[in-house]
Amino acid sequence: MEYKKCIFIYRHKDYAVDGMRSALGLAVENMYSYGVVMDAEMEKLDEHNMESLEMLRDMEGEIYSTIPANVEKNGLESIDLEELGEKLRDMDIIVPYGLK
Amino acid sequence: MAKSLGIFVTNPDNFAHVLGITKAAKAKGSKVKVFFTWTATHNAKDQAFPELCELADDVSICVDSYKKQGYDIEDIPQGLTAKEMATQAQHGIIIEDYDCYISL
Amino acid sequence: MKVLNVYRSEPDETVKKLVEIVTRDRDSDSFDLYGASPDYDTLVDKIFDADQTICWW
Repeated sequence: MEYKKCIFIYRHKDYAVDGMRSALGLAVENMYSYGVVMDAEMEKLDEHNMESLEMLRDMEGEIYSTIPANVEKNGLESIDLEELGEKLRDMDIIVPYGLK
Repeated sequence: MAKSLGIFVTNPDNFAHVLGITKAAKAKGSKVKVFFTWTATHNAKDQAFPELCELADDVSICVDSYKKQGYDIEDIPQGLTAKEMATQAQHGIIIEDYDCYISL
Repeated sequence: MKVLNVYRSEPDETVKKLVEIVTRDRDSDSFDLYGASPDYDTLVDKIFDADQTICWW
């Protein structure tokens, strides 16, 4: 069985944390699930959300960010726009999530 | 036979598009499932929401999001049943079981 | 692989760049959802015709 690959893209900080929950929701459903935080600097993730991120990673998912502050503050995986574009080519489902 | 269509709604301002796309797809004989999450669960209080529930084959909302948006989970929106106050698994069903997918 | 790009607002430079990479060497189509009275019938036909639909903000 081939597992689907899905990615959520967040550009508004009020949607990033809940969007991570949606990414985790698909990982639980046996899909490769990723998220990317663009444009917005997030607050530091609390313990609960850090646990969600770790759970996602345990299921081979990842949350990336194009913003260095999010990489430093929350340990997200760094990605630039070109790399993101290439990653999107490999995805079955692409979700520009929430508001811009 | 028309393809089936799943709609995943994350933007609260797109309800008119959800309704318009659902109407057009149903007119073509398509099976349509819609799932609302996060702030888009406010759409469940739109006066046209029951009409969407009538039109589409399956409508559900993320109950956790609905609660976090300030609603009482016992206050089931008109058009839904308790089991349609659901989880992100509904999004998984859309991806796995429907021919076509759009997020709004 | 045919990709349908749906735009809910006029695409900015970020979206344009991502679309350029995603559609490189692929068949693609687009639909503007931000105009007055979008033609949902045409949009649904395009969704059914595509292998993947991406609905940008």
